[in-house]
Amino acid sequence: MWHITKREIYDNLNSLRFALTTVLLLALMVTNAVKHLREHPKRVQRYQDAVTESLNHLTDRANDSLYTLAQYGPGNFYKKPSPLHFCANGGEFLLPDAVEVDEPPVFMTDSEGNRLLEGIWSLSYPDANLHNKDVGPNVSQVDWAFIIGSILSLIALWFTFDAFSGEREQGTLRLMLANSIPRHTVLIGKFLGALLSISIPFALAVLVNLLLISTADTVYLTTEAWGRLGIIFALALLYTSLFVALGLLVSARVQQSAVSLMILLLMWVTLVVFMPSTLASIASSFSPAMSFDEFWKQRNPIKEDLWDKYKEGLWSSELDDSKLRAKSEFYTENAEREERWQEEQLKYRTSQVHRARAITSISPATLLQHLIESFAGTGFERHLQFAENVQRYTRQLREFVADTDRADPESLHILGVREGMSKKLVNPAAVPKFEDTLNLSKDFNTTAMELLLLTLFVLVLLSGAYLAFVRVEV
Amino acid sequence: MMTLIRRELLDNLMTFRFAAAVFITLLLVVAMTAVLLKDYEQRLASYNTAVKTHQRQLQEGKTYSVAKLSVDRPPNPLSLFNIGLDKRLGNAIRVYHGHVPTLWDAEMHGSDNIFLNLFTSIDLVFIFELVLSFLALIFAYDAIAGEHERGTLRLTLTHPVGRGHILLAKYIGAMLCLLVPFLMSLLLTVILLTTSTAISLSFSDFLRISGIVFSSVAYLSVFYFIGLLISVIARRTSTALMLAMFVWGFLVLVYPSMARTIINLQESPQTRTASAFNEIKQMWEEFDRERKQFFANNPGLGKDMSFLGIMRGGYTVEHVEEDSSILQYYYRIGLHVGKLKEKFEPQVPHIQNYYRFLGLQTISTAERAWLVRERALEDIFVRPANIEKILLKLSPVGVYDAATQAWIGTDLDGICDFFTKARQYRQTVIDYFYDKEAFGDRKWFSADKGAVDWSALPQFSFQRSDVAINAKRALPDVCLLLMLNVALFIITFLIFVKSEV
Repeated sequence: MWHITKREIYDNLNSLRFALTTVLLLALMVTNAVKHLREHPKRVQRYQDAVTESLNHLTDRANDSLYTLAQYGPGNFYKKPSPLHFCANGGEFLLPDAVEVDEPPVFMTDSEGNRLLEGIWSLSYPDANLHNKDVGPNVSQVDWAFIIGSILSLIALWFTFDAFSGEREQGTLRLMLANSIPRHTVLIGKFLGALLSISIPFALAVLVNLLLISTADTVYLTTEAWGRLGIIFALALLYTSLFVALGLLVSARVQQSAVSLMILLLMWVTLVVFMPSTLASIASSFSPAMSFDEFWKQRNPIKEDLWDKYKEGLWSSELDDSKLRAKSEFYTENAEREERWQEEQLKYRTSQVHRARAITSISPATLLQHLIESFAGTGFERHLQFAENVQRYTRQLREFVADTDRADPESLHILGVREGMSKKLVNPAAVPKFEDTLNLSKDFNTTAMELLLLTLFVLVLLSGAYLAFVRVEV
Repeated sequence: MMTLIRRELLDNLMTFRFAAAVFITLLLVVAMTAVLLKDYEQRLASYNTAVKTHQRQLQEGKTYSVAKLSVDRPPNPLSLFNIGLDKRLGNAIRVYHGHVPTLWDAEMHGSDNIFLNLFTSIDLVFIFELVLSFLALIFAYDAIAGEHERGTLRLTLTHPVGRGHILLAKYIGAMLCLLVPFLMSLLLTVILLTTSTAISLSFSDFLRISGIVFSSVAYLSVFYFIGLLISVIARRTSTALMLAMFVWGFLVLVYPSMARTIINLQESPQTRTASAFNEIKQMWEEFDRERKQFFANNPGLGKDMSFLGIMRGGYTVEHVEEDSSILQYYYRIGLHVGKLKEKFEPQVPHIQNYYRFLGLQTISTAERAWLVRERALEDIFVRPANIEKILLKLSPVGVYDAATQAWIGTDLDGICDFFTKARQYRQTVIDYFYDKEAFGDRKWFSADKGAVDWSALPQFSFQRSDVAINAKRALPDVCLLLMLNVALFIITFLIFVKSEV
């Protein structure tokens, strides 16, 4: 078997396609690296500026008073750009990069514009980027997901379409089988040979890419990032072996190499190009999106009954305990409902996307795309994780405000109303700060299913290739 | 010659690859059309909802100054051939007398789940780009190399036929074969389109479709010639097949993405943006100063510029719309007085005067800002996009894509037509306001004596550009494709003539 593998590799190393593949992959990977080196520092800079501004807001408010902190909350939250953005951009330019903190609503003003009733802050999730300023032509960006998903799979087919049909045409297959080599050995030899000879130029290209990226002083990769890159490389090999197996399967069954190439290409177009987009649009048409207007209509009733509930408390300007308490409850509940409504809207849209993603997972190309996105820390799942991080932090911050207030014996402990809260100074350093983090083990958990599916795909195709080759007449 | 063509035709028709080609194209195209039709129907429904919403919003504006007038861009019915920029760019634009609307101010009418844009969308032309070119190469790779290997080429040349004739016969025979799956699938698409209730195709639409067909045939033959060239050079079928596939992958998949990425490396003209934005901002700041001066010079207006104190019920709108990345900066000023307090009645003529002054000032400032903005936007967005487009045209895929988009009107020019129309409509609305003397009218800011009647307002209507204009826009690209054909034929011929058999 080892002998066959070696023969295959030597055969391939000397061929034209090996040279062309190397050049092609190198060119793509270098483009990718250069693009990342140009864009990533800007992205990080933008993020840091935004975060600094948002932290300043938080400190200012904490310095002012506990009430200001409780009323205005923190500044906006920003999504940390992933250092592995070059692996998969994951449609990041379509996704919002922030969760916003809404200004406290003003419920009532007097004729001079003084605010009589003003509520407290709440979170809002901005919609996807509406302003698309880009008027250039539509083409996919060169990231690893594209290079692996589209190009490498094509190369895998390119290396295997004539594996058996070519040898049959030349008559060498018969010769080989005349020796006492079992057929499965031949198959595994061919499989390993093709896989290894594709990995060589790919590994070379990846090496050049990473060398360019890691030697630049503008981009810094942590140990964890290297681990993630290792996983992505392994995924690439798994995905390539899928297409190698597919190529062997078709090549074993079909007599002519040209026909085999044609069938493989049809399969490639269906799996890689056709299915991801078409299935998504079919899936999304099953459950039409709820329009913004409909959501808006749902929002108003839940707010109006709040007014009725707390009517007496709100209209008076007296400062006694029960009135203040009514105000506080009204504010808190108002903010909570607003937030819940926003969350529901996000959830509704998310579930629709999830459904579409689940259906498109029939295609291995989409599986790979999702896997690379999760390990690169970009894309839709990452966006949801960011929103979750923000939600966790806001709970923490609200608890902090309540605890600080409770620690002050002079306070009335009525949150959200100036008169009811502690007037002691707040130490800005003690206020919890938001940090957007990624968690590798969590990524593994969310992707376990997809990983399993991809592996299953490979196994099925490999056994299919085996069956096809064993039964074929030479 | 006829015999040669007949032989080629029969040779090709009997092969398995011909059957497979027909099957592949039909399957993909029909499935694609069904899905795209569904998508178009959804977009059309979303457009209709948006139009209704905007009409309601207009009626809700009780005074001229707070009215919200928006117009919508309908989806292009032929966009399922080539979606182009139709789905990606904004399709709802607010028409406001104080701002000249452009493509970059537009919004998406918000009834869809925008997260779904994360999934790539493809169209029929993309399928043609991939499949037709590949089929052409598959038919061509062994045309010469195969005969060379089998020795039949030598045999044919012993007869008194010119080498050019052989090439031509091969070309005609294969092209006729390739046209069968293409035309069949296209026919099915058109049948599906005409049976759909959402789309009604006019005569000019059929002309546009035939434009696409013509461009597709030219594209197909470019790739056939590329295959023929490879076949002549390679001489061995296995090498030819290998090379053909590489060329296909490179031209169709790799090059477009790589070219776009490389071009994107160009620095966006930061200084240009900043200077133009500042210029526009200064114009509006000057506007603000003049407004304040006018206010100060007319003591009859009272002290409060927002006029909140004079009314019971109502609101005021006064803010700056600002987005430096698209050079957007303008004032939006409006007032809705629900009920005027009695004692402020003498102030009304002064306020009318103030708003008459403000209306004229707003319009003239907007026009001046537009002069700066138009040129700057052209420099910042349109020119780089055009450079990208030209660079993409180094591959026949880019030329074909641009040609079909131009035919359908989903290219940048086609989309811009709509916004030109929206700008004209803004002018119409302003003229209407002048006719009604709306700027100095009480109803400009107050609804206490009845709301504005919007029924006489001229309606907005958008017709896609004439097919002749589409043809004119597509002409350069179609010519480019034809020239490419001729050039490739000449090169192939020269090499073939010089080659030993």
